[in-house]
Amino acid sequence: MASRRAAIKAMDWAAFAERVPANQKAMFNALKTRSDSLSARLAALPEKPPAIDWAHYKATVAKAGMVDEFQKKFSALKVPEPVDTQTAKIDAQEKEAAKSSAEYIQASKARIVQYEQQLQKLKSMIPFDQMTLEDFQEAFPETKLDKEKYPFWPHKPIADL
Amino acid sequence: VLHSTRLLHTSQQCSAPVPPLPEKGGEVRHGLIPEEFFQFLYPKTGVTGPYMLGTGLLLYLLSKEIYVVNHETVASACILAVIIYAVKKFGSDVAAFADKLNEEKVASALAVKNEAIKDLETAIEQEKKEQWRAEGHSFLFDAKRNNVAMLLETNYRERLMTVYSEVKKRLDYQVAMQNLKRQKEQDHMIQWVEKSVVQSITPQQQKESIAKCILDLKALSRSAQAAA
Repeated sequence: MASRRAAIKAMDWAAFAERVPANQKAMFNALKTRSDSLSARLAALPEKPPAIDWAHYKATVAKAGMVDEFQKKFSALKVPEPVDTQTAKIDAQEKEAAKSSAEYIQASKARIVQYEQQLQKLKSMIPFDQMTLEDFQEAFPETKLDKEKYPFWPHKPIADL
Repeated sequence: VLHSTRLLHTSQQCSAPVPPLPEKGGEVRHGLIPEEFFQFLYPKTGVTGPYMLGTGLLLYLLSKEIYVVNHETVASACILAVIIYAVKKFGSDVAAFADKLNEEKVASALAVKNEAIKDLETAIEQEKKEQWRAEGHSFLFDAKRNNVAMLLETNYRERLMTVYSEVKKRLDYQVAMQNLKRQKEQDHMIQWVEKSVVQSITPQQQKESIAKCILDLKALSRSAQAAA
């Protein structure tokens, strides 16, 4: 009993909801409703069934020995606990998810580094009215006119004008 | 004033970024002669020096006919007059227009740069937020495990309840059967007793009981009339 009681952790649905990105909100809502219905079902059932009043039945039922037999069999009966097949799978899934999220975080960090580099470059640029054309083409290399490939003005294909 | 801050390519040094162009050009008098000339002559000849020099030079050129006055002189005088009038009247407007064009170019470039900066910053924010979100994956698996545990627990409790209700149903069935049998026996016995009593009433007894009833009724009616 105690092992299964501890298995149900207190879920902070509010914190969970914060972390859900917008495109997965529907899945989150489905999960939440399922969880809520399960917990409602659980709460509706009592933990132990009420005790059977053996004395009363012994007094009322005329057939001798029937009540005693029932009582003996009832107390000897052990209801088997349902076997947990899914937790192992869930743990495996969690490991997978941890790994993939770690990868994603790595990639995200790399992207952040790139963005920061560009940001640094932009922020440390000299103001435009103090630049010469050469400075401008250094800062934005895509504006440089390729005078070797297109030796005649306008130094770029006409379609690009 | 000559801007001595601007280097005149005197050395191989090049200071980048290029220092910004000064707002105004050098001071000139009469639109032609730089102020430095007047300052240069001031110590020796005072304020009127350059003017005297100018007048003397002009008179010398005219009188010695080094500069010959002909019809081109008149033409140039008229053209100069028109040019000076036009510049004085429209000069500032044209300058403002040109400045505005330049301003617009610079402003658009600046806008592009600022937008790029803002986009990068928001992108960085988003990435950080996504990282934070991705860290919350443990919630999902906690929820799943909770669900599984709840299902198992529910199942177990349902089984207990089933056992209990089945046993109780059987016992109750036995009790109910007994009660029913008892009741049926009672009813049957009562009916049988009634039937035998009715049978045992002979016609003689019936006449006697009817006569007694009539007498009783009469007595009752008399006592009722007396009471009323």
